[in-house]
Amino acid sequence: MSKTPSSRIPRRTILRAGVAAGALQITSPFILTALGETPVKIGMVNPLTGVLSALAQSEVDGAKYAEAEINKKGGILGRPVELLVEDSANDVGTGVQKTRKLIDRDQVDVILGDVNSGIAAAMGQVTNEKKVFHIVPGGHTDTITGTDCHWNVFRVCNDTTMDTSAITPELVKRFGKKWFFITPDYAYGHSLQDGFIKALKKLGGTYDGDYLPINNQDFSATLIKAKGYKPDVLLNNMGGLTQINCMKQIVQFGLQKDMALGGALFEFETVKALQPEAQAGWWVMEWWWDQPKVPEVGKFVADYRAATKKTPSARDWFGYVSMHTVRVAAEKAKSLDGPKLSLTMEDMELPPDVALQAGKVRYRAGDHELMPSVFIGQMHPPKAGPDDVYTIEAAVPGDDAAGPVADTGCKMVHPA
Amino acid sequence: MLTLILYNVTNGLMLGAFYVLMALGLSLILNLSNVINFAHGNFLALGAYMALELTKVVGFWGAFLIAPLLTALFGVAVELLMRFVYRRDPVYSLLLTFGLAFVMQGLMLWWWGPTPQEMHMVPALEAPVSADLFFITWYRVFMVAIVIVTVIGVFAFLRYTRVGLRIRAGTLDLDTVSALGVNVKLLRTFNFTMGCLLAGLSGVLATGAIGINPNMGDDLLMPSFIAIIIGGVGSLTGTLFGGLLIGVTAALTAAVYPAASEVVIFVMLVLVLLIRPRGLMGEEGMLT
Repeated sequence: MSKTPSSRIPRRTILRAGVAAGALQITSPFILTALGETPVKIGMVNPLTGVLSALAQSEVDGAKYAEAEINKKGGILGRPVELLVEDSANDVGTGVQKTRKLIDRDQVDVILGDVNSGIAAAMGQVTNEKKVFHIVPGGHTDTITGTDCHWNVFRVCNDTTMDTSAITPELVKRFGKKWFFITPDYAYGHSLQDGFIKALKKLGGTYDGDYLPINNQDFSATLIKAKGYKPDVLLNNMGGLTQINCMKQIVQFGLQKDMALGGALFEFETVKALQPEAQAGWWVMEWWWDQPKVPEVGKFVADYRAATKKTPSARDWFGYVSMHTVRVAAEKAKSLDGPKLSLTMEDMELPPDVALQAGKVRYRAGDHELMPSVFIGQMHPPKAGPDDVYTIEAAVPGDDAAGPVADTGCKMVHPA
Repeated sequence: MLTLILYNVTNGLMLGAFYVLMALGLSLILNLSNVINFAHGNFLALGAYMALELTKVVGFWGAFLIAPLLTALFGVAVELLMRFVYRRDPVYSLLLTFGLAFVMQGLMLWWWGPTPQEMHMVPALEAPVSADLFFITWYRVFMVAIVIVTVIGVFAFLRYTRVGLRIRAGTLDLDTVSALGVNVKLLRTFNFTMGCLLAGLSGVLATGAIGINPNMGDDLLMPSFIAIIIGGVGSLTGTLFGGLLIGVTAALTAAVYPAASEVVIFVMLVLVLLIRPRGLMGEEGMLT
């Protein structure tokens, strides 16, 4: 049966709608200007789909929470803040394309991202070329603030050297120095394992291990090898969902009875997705919600829970810190100009209600790396509540864990 | 060394069994309806989430039985949508399922969130079979048993039932089957639903191995496609061998050079397409 003419959408109507939609793209900025002050636009690129999506979403949650908080207190330089979020789909090409879109079309003042180190590094090339200020909230590979450092790129999360050099002595002291690595075969994994090997060799350790595809699902072959190697410590360096699957299979195969488990990061989002039997081992946390001696943390966690109905993780904190860093730096520099912001941020200390931990936390001038404490502790099944799954055993100062700037390979060149 | 190889071959067969189950559903839909279902991985994830919710009410075994049926029911609704594109260029159905994959993934992400979830299993299934065979858990044995029973069931259905014979005939020449008075619309719906049922079952079984998240089907979809192409488009027996072959190859590669365990199946695909484009058991002209 053919459609009656009245039920069809006339071609001219579709064309008119298309023209109107196109015109709206061009005219909307002027309308916004007419309504009030132009907002400070901050563009965030993160893998909202793919194996890192849970971590990426937490960073977005933290950034959005900070956006609301900043706007409530008058914005940045008296202008409202607008956070624009794009999905990099855990793909370098897509991440770069979204970064260019945010800079060229949306005219953002600052770029944040990405969780995936490879994407973050590629984004750094783009933002450097465009002279746009860029904060990497959670991409850990050393080179971002090391050999590939840029004057416009700052990082909130630790680099892999900080995490590995902080936990290696503890693991060796407690369990021994024969290690087996299970590591993802991409920038982050290589950087992490290199860091561990460097620290382990200093202590006279030996090792074996496998590099596995980033989205690896079955770990049996590697676990068969690990069992045969009889290590003192089995290090699960995988990330996101793959780290969960790896941990799950380790426990199913009963390997935790023969060897200690540990590694660098096992993030809050990932810990909570594990069954209680698999919540074990020694790990690094880059920020932790339960720090009874720091009153600012208690207040932040209570407010955050009330607003978002969840307990903040290190990733939420990364997003939160990134946004507030822009605010603090812009207010200090009285500008959003990339080079001015960059110079202002060098050795800039975060205020206590943003740093949310004991001690001073600053962006190191030589490599633009944030220097927070590195928390070392034990993962365990929930104790006092569902989020009580980790106990801090030690906090290593960021400067001690990072080592000297000269070792990073960063040669910072500022624009003339 | 021999023990290590035997361990990994066994492991590969178990991995392959899972690819077989997933690829069988894809293959059924592709063979009869000529539709490359890009949303098949999302049907798998949907089955897993259904099981997650059902476990809270009816326990693991109840969820294991009901979740694939609910996924199949959703498949019926999707198939009604597919009817608009059957007679058009295959690109239409390809784009439709491609879009559907994004919509389903987005909806699951919105409803259940990005944080991975765990389904409560029967504890006995999670234990290893023995201390020596520590890498074979009872869950894996259960999974392989289910795959074997399902494969035998599907093959028997296609061989010995009237509807099964019509599906097989339709795979060869749907127009003639239609001319003989068979209700092709209904046949396609039934076949698509069966494919989705297998995807749902794969989803429930996957929960015990890889947990549940909105993207869980993505990484399993490509090996399943490759299993079909290597085995030969149009041949379910080929799909069976294709799935097992890539499982074993991936597992053996993982033992020797783990970083290449993913890429090796793509290398196999290239080799098969170069040397024998119709696949190991496919018929000439099916992949054109």
